[in-house]
Amino acid sequence: MSKRSQFGRKERVFGYSIIIPYIAYTAIFWGYPFVWMLILAFTKWNFFSKPSFVWLDNFLKMFTDSVFLQIILNTLNFLAYLIPMILISSLLFALALKKVKFGRTFIMLSFLIANVSSGVAYSLLFSNLFAVNGPVNRIFDALFGVTIPWFSDPQLAIFSICLIITWKFIGYYGLILYAGLQQIPQSLYEAAELDGANGNVLFWKITLPLLNPSLVTVTVLAIMLTFGIFTEPYLITGGGPMQRTTTFMIYMYDTAFKRIDPSYATTIAIVTALLSYGLVTLIRKVFEREVSFV
Amino acid sequence: MKRVASVVMLLIFVLTAFSVKLTFWTAPNPYQEEFWKIMVTQWNKQRPDVQIEVQTIPAAGSSEEAILTALAAGNAPDFCENIFSGFGAQLADIGAIYAFDNFGTDFTKLVQTRKMTSIIEKWEVDGKHYVFPIYSNPMLFWWRGDILKQLGYNNPPRTYSEIYDLSKKFADGKKKFTMQVISGRNWWDRWYDFITYYYAATGGKAYIDTAKRKANFGDATGLKIANFIYTMFQNKYTAVELGTNPFYTGSILGKITGPWEVNQAKDTFPKVVPNIWISTPPVPDDYPKDKPVYTIADSKGLVIFSTCKDKKAAFEFISWVFSNAQNDALWIEKTQMPPAREDLTTNPVFAKYMEDKFFKAYSSNVPYAVPPALITNTIDVNQAMSTHLVEPLMYLKGKPEDILNKAVKEINKVLF
Repeated sequence: MSKRSQFGRKERVFGYSIIIPYIAYTAIFWGYPFVWMLILAFTKWNFFSKPSFVWLDNFLKMFTDSVFLQIILNTLNFLAYLIPMILISSLLFALALKKVKFGRTFIMLSFLIANVSSGVAYSLLFSNLFAVNGPVNRIFDALFGVTIPWFSDPQLAIFSICLIITWKFIGYYGLILYAGLQQIPQSLYEAAELDGANGNVLFWKITLPLLNPSLVTVTVLAIMLTFGIFTEPYLITGGGPMQRTTTFMIYMYDTAFKRIDPSYATTIAIVTALLSYGLVTLIRKVFEREVSFV
Repeated sequence: MKRVASVVMLLIFVLTAFSVKLTFWTAPNPYQEEFWKIMVTQWNKQRPDVQIEVQTIPAAGSSEEAILTALAAGNAPDFCENIFSGFGAQLADIGAIYAFDNFGTDFTKLVQTRKMTSIIEKWEVDGKHYVFPIYSNPMLFWWRGDILKQLGYNNPPRTYSEIYDLSKKFADGKKKFTMQVISGRNWWDRWYDFITYYYAATGGKAYIDTAKRKANFGDATGLKIANFIYTMFQNKYTAVELGTNPFYTGSILGKITGPWEVNQAKDTFPKVVPNIWISTPPVPDDYPKDKPVYTIADSKGLVIFSTCKDKKAAFEFISWVFSNAQNDALWIEKTQMPPAREDLTTNPVFAKYMEDKFFKAYSSNVPYAVPPALITNTIDVNQAMSTHLVEPLMYLKGKPEDILNKAVKEINKVLF
């Protein structure tokens, strides 16, 4: 008896009616762009004429493109600030949240507001806050007699943008870590305390190792976030100073819509995706540990 | 009588049913939208055979993005305004727009009727005209006349030395700065700082030789400008970020802007507006006093796409709008921006607008406003100018002369 006959006509129709919307959705919104992306990467197209086949030219162009190479360094620079800043601040937030007895939901929601705020709105807000004659610098000037070039110095500009992104994501990533903390059985702490472990030991020997899955999740999300930075530098620094805050996304956008070169922009997108995937795989391989609470 | 009316109605119905329907995209700006809606309503009443539908350029990161996406998707409009000259050159390069020269003498006549014979010359791409200029905004400097008066001035500073003198009296390097010297960090900001200063200091000389594809600004005048920017930053007479509305709060005394800011300033800062003095961009000390000072034109125009269903009909509409000076008067009323015509100060139709000090200042400078170089790689040239010229000057990374020379080399690489 063939497999097909296991189901009646009605059942088959029902089955197809359930999967067809998904297949159609995937074909239109995933399959079609994916095929189009592959076509673009190996052709030269200008939005108007027919694409002309150029083999690997778009990929080879990247090796001699000094801006692209600069952006790779910029991204590493962003990662060097953003990952520790996000991990430490989210962990502190999660640990603090665990200690709070009243109004926990309110605090969580308050921090999540930053996450749902408009990128354009808060970028303008921070740009004014950190201006040379803005409120932050006025306080610094009044207290210490100095002003800080938040967005004018290359390293400080990267740091300042990381600060804004950390502010935006501290609530979201903090909740992931908080959920991880909640999973650690209280009995482990109690047993360790009976053995004479102090707070320091509890944190380094129990909390941190058992929080590994959540910490790795946050790290992976933060890496993907770094590869996708766009609004903040686009609006605040315009990719400067000295192109040090130019990101892959800014370069893709400008290349596609300002330089009218969507083929090269697509190639950059593919390579960016591969780079971020490679880094995520590496991080998981090095830091991920299996944790089980038995 | 009833029969005649029925026949007329039937005729209108038939004409409308078989009429050409053209889609026209306008700038996402309420003032311009209002102007075009009035024009199109009048036209549609007169010409049931050519019906035009006005739509604003769809919301996107920029007008360019919206237009390119529409071109790719095959749903571009028939014709569109709000096209910056550089983008026009790019669209012409990919064959997406139709040259007005194809309309032959009708186009020449329109140019003559609208008094824009000299203006149109600067919009030429490879010997053809793909963009019909609508308005030309000369970028001018606004100064805080009230504060300048307190400091003992009766006129805004004209030369670099005068700006240094003023700075010594006003700037403290922390809260107060003389002027906004650099317009911003984005690639388009170079039009409103270095390129503007270059036009001003050279009597409108091209900063890029488009025929030889090389930079012209590595000359003695370019060096004077580089020294000016460097000196302003070195002495903290200006800064990179100046906060919100520094001009209106009195943190800076001067800044460059276009006429689009007039209505907004009148609404938001009515007390400051009467005290604003307007001037051309600053020039080197040896620039002759009797010579006109040129500036950059922030100008935009109209294009007909190659995919337009009826190019002749689109041109007829454009011709109908711009052959009548009254329509340009309505444009001024709605948008406060000077139409790209050379007779603004002499044509009696525009006389009443000359009573407004802002409009008078901007329209008097239309003949001295030069658009940016019409090259296809504007963004890369301007970006290189930011990275290799303006930013090193702002951050005092080397001697102005070395910075300028390196920038010229880098930009020549981009152009080559």
